[in-house]
Parts: sequence; C-alpha cells; structure tokens
Amino acid sequence: MLLKLEEVTKRFGGLVAVNSVSLEIDEGEKVGIVGPNGSGKTTLYNVISGVYAPDGGRIFFEGKEITNLPAHERTKLGIARTFQVPRPFGSATVRENVAIGAMFGRANAGVDEALEMADRYLEMVGIYELREKEAKLLTPLEKKLMELARALAMKPKLLLLDELLAGMNPQDINRILDLINKVKEEENIATIAMVEHLMHAITKFAERVVVMHQGSKLIEGPTMEVLNHPKVVEVYLGEKLKIG
Amino acid sequence: MRNYTPLVTLLLIYAVMIAIGQGIQGMWQPIMLVIFYIAVGQALNIFLGMTGYVNFGYVALLGVGAYGMAVALGYYTDLGLIPALTLGFILAILLAFIVSMVVGGIALRLRGAYFAIATIGVNEGIKYLILGGKIWGGSSGIVLSGILRKAYGAETMRFLSTVFADAGLIVVAILSGVITMYILNSRLGYGLIALREDEDAAKVMGINVRRYKQIAFVISCILAGLIGATAWTLKLTYVFPQDVFAINYTVEAIVIVMLGGAGTLLGPVVGGLIYALLKYYLTIAFPGMQLLILAPLLIIVILLFPEGVVGYLAKAARGTRFEKFVR
Repeated sequence: MLLKLEEVTKRFGGLVAVNSVSLEIDEGEKVGIVGPNGSGKTTLYNVISGVYAPDGGRIFFEGKEITNLPAHERTKLGIARTFQVPRPFGSATVRENVAIGAMFGRANAGVDEALEMADRYLEMVGIYELREKEAKLLTPLEKKLMELARALAMKPKLLLLDELLAGMNPQDINRILDLINKVKEEENIATIAMVEHLMHAITKFAERVVVMHQGSKLIEGPTMEVLNHPKVVEVYLGEKLKIG
Repeated sequence: MRNYTPLVTLLLIYAVMIAIGQGIQGMWQPIMLVIFYIAVGQALNIFLGMTGYVNFGYVALLGVGAYGMAVALGYYTDLGLIPALTLGFILAILLAFIVSMVVGGIALRLRGAYFAIATIGVNEGIKYLILGGKIWGGSSGIVLSGILRKAYGAETMRFLSTVFADAGLIVVAILSGVITMYILNSRLGYGLIALREDEDAAKVMGINVRRYKQIAFVISCILAGLIGATAWTLKLTYVFPQDVFAINYTVEAIVIVMLGGAGTLLGPVVGGLIYALLKYYLTIAFPGMQLLILAPLLIIVILLFPEGVVGYLAKAARGTRFEKFVR
C-alpha cells in the first residue's frame, strides 16, 4: 500500500469540499480520478500533497502517517504533482525549473547532477530546445510539459497529475500518455491522473477509476465498468427523463 | 553549470575603483562612499534580491553591528588592541545573529507586505530601547576617539580609523559578493529563487521555505552588522543611536538593489556606483537641492530598466561571449 486516505474531510467554512473520502493506491498503480467541475478533485490533491491539512481523517504514505506533515516533507518522501494552472518559477529558465524539482524532490540531487537530470527529462517530454528560455515565456502547453518534466525529475513514488492533458490535441495526448506509461514501467511510479472530461484518455491510461461527486467518492472500480455505470452517466449527463 | 566567472568582473571593478581612489588626488573619499553603498546593497540583496521580501528594519542590523564593535573597543579596551578588535567583530556578528534570529523567527511567518510592515518597528524599537534604557551610554552614545588615543596612542587610532576601517569595509563588501555568487550557484540559491517566484509551489516542490528565508535573512543581517562595525564604528570612532538607526539607510539600500538588479551579483555594485556618485556630485553641484534632482533621475533609470541595470545587461549579453561574465 503506497497511499491510504482514511475518511478524509476538508471544509472551507460551510462548504464541505472533500467529504469523508477513503482511498487506497498501490505501488505502481495507474488510477484515474474523474468528476465534474467542483466535485472536490483539486482539493483532494491539495490535501494529499500537503497544501491543506485535512479537517478530519488520516493520511498514510508507505504505512507512515503523514496527516500533519508539511508539504515539503511529503515531497521528500516521494509525492510529486503538477498544477491545473501551471505554476512555473517565472524568471528562472526552463532547465532551472526542472533542476529545482530534481534538487528538492525525492531525487535530492546536487546542483550539477540536477541540471543534468533536467536536460534528460526535458528531452523526454520533448521541450529540450526550450531549456534556456525563461519559464514565464512558454506557451501554456509548454508550461504543462515543463511541469511534467519537473515532477518526473523529483523521482516520485506517487505522481499526481492535475488536468495535465486538458487543452492538448489528440496527438500530444497520445504522446504524453505513452511517455507516462513508459516512465511508469521504468521507475515504478504510481500515477493518479485527474480529468474532468477526457474520458477517452482515461480509458487509455487508468486501470482503475474513482469518480468524485460533490466532494464524495461516488464509485470506484475497473475503468470501463465504472465509466459505463448508470450512476456515473447520471452525474455527467443528468437523470434519464421519465416519460409517462 | 556552476559559473563563478562573474566574480572576475566583480573583482575587476573593485580593482579599478581602488586604483582610481589611490591614484587620483581627492578620489579616495568618494570611492569609499561608493564602496559603502555597494556593501550595503550587496548585503541587503542576499535577502531582498533572492527572496523578494523587503526588510524595512535593515539599518538596525548595521546599528547593532556598530554597537558590537563600539562596546568591545570602549568597554574592553584593557584586553589589548587585537583581542578587543576580535571581540568587536565577534560581538557585531553575534548581535546581528541574535536580532536576525528573533526578528526572522517571528516576522518571517508573515508573507510579503505584512513582513515588511512587521520589520518597520524593529529599527525604532532597538533605538528607543537603547535611548530609554540608557544602555551603552543611552543618548550620549559611545565615543571612542579619546579612549583609543589614551589606550593605544594617536598613531594606532589614526591607522584604525583610516586604513584599517577602509580595508575592513572593502573586505566585507567583497565577501558579500563572494557569498552571493556562492548562493546563486548552490541549492540554497535555487530554492530561494523558487520561493521568490511562487512560495506555495516552492513548498510543494519540497523546499522548506521558512528555513530558506531564515538562512538568507540571517546571512544578510550578519553582513550588515559587519558593515556597521567597520564603516561606522571603526571609521567614525563614535556611535550615537540617532545616527546608526536612521531609516534613510534602509531606503537607500532598497533603491540600490532595485536600481542595479535584484538577485544579481553585480546589481548592487552598479546600483551603488550610480547612486553614490550621483548623490556625491549632485551634493557638490547643487547643495541642498541634490535630492530633488536625484529622485527623478533614479525614477528614469528604473523606468528604463525595470529589472535593474544588471538584469537588463544579463539579458542583453545572453548568447554573446560576455554572457559568462554578467550575472
């Protein structure tokens, strides 16, 4: 068991953003989290990565409780993430951005080693030629690729992808999915990908899917089974109209 | 890759300045004024430039450093010259360390503007503590000239307040530059740049932002303390609370960092040169009117180079053979 959430709750005032969610992720597993806008996916990520402390419940990573561990210490244990809206370190170069991941993530690399790793991961995601550019000058897509490289350079055991594929064309989506699958095989990284609408992509990637709805876990199970489940269809498309 | 070649540029600038100061009649005082402002900018830059946090209590660190040296020379004169001087440097470092640990430990829990506001009180607080508590002479300060002359002789005192004080300040200024270069090339520097750009993202990237800010703050403050000990106590041979806790030095240091380019090695050098030379010669040319002319000139420079002169030059040099020498 790599990650375990026990009835985790996060409230913002009266709004229960994540409501008593339990979840288990195994080493090297590929899990998709789907759910409509506002269903609590990003808050769940923030609770896992340590941006917020949960108001209730417990979180375990490799059997060790991390519920109250600060974000930077969780990162050292092997949790890495990308952001829905990319957050590059704007004035640093692309290469430095990725090197920062390698330095302070689980990889814990020295400066020279981290810069070399940065080159390698930038090549892998296909933006090596942009490495000397200031990160703030990248296009949104390039920023997402840079964040992926930065997260991979941290050598995580658990990789949290937040709408990484949104806004990409089908060709890029396939390329990135192949890449994630390849890295996952090589380094045994458990990956959780979160998507709002790209069901097609999730079927290609995830072995298991968790559906979030209004802060709670609606259903979880094997990908195809879950996506065709009547409850899930209802969440996305609404109830069937009953006539007569 | 790690690049220390900008230090060549830095040392070259110091060499030229010292050569001008020694070679041309009447230039030593303006050059030392320039080096004072460079040092003040360089030490502040390690915190302000690298973290983006504004320390409005900055001058208080120069002040406690100045007092550290004054207390050692004034109250422990009997130890002999070398031990008293050594004690002075130790006290300057120690006082700056204590103040920065306490202030940083509390105020660095606050973000951005709130930190700046919290540090405004530090300077006034320490000043009135010394005045009101009549600590270290209170408002009458510590006057060293008589004590030093009596204990070590007029010749030694003159040497201390001229050659030794100037050399000490130059060493501190260059040391600040070398430390800046080291930080820029180290994990600390990368971590600081990350937290300057996006503190929350930096945390998620595994950076202990509180600790990193504190380290930068303490280094910056200790160097400031050493500037106070050399440029003020040793050079002037007196310390008065009203003089060493004057907030205008903080503002000048911020202007120098912004003018030259925050977070760069050479920024404070260029900023210090522009600021000190303009101020010095405007004062001679338009006595009494200097600030009125200086301010719009500074605004023009900042409008032309929003990332500072060196920030602009570093970008312009990218891809040329000068790239390695500018940072």
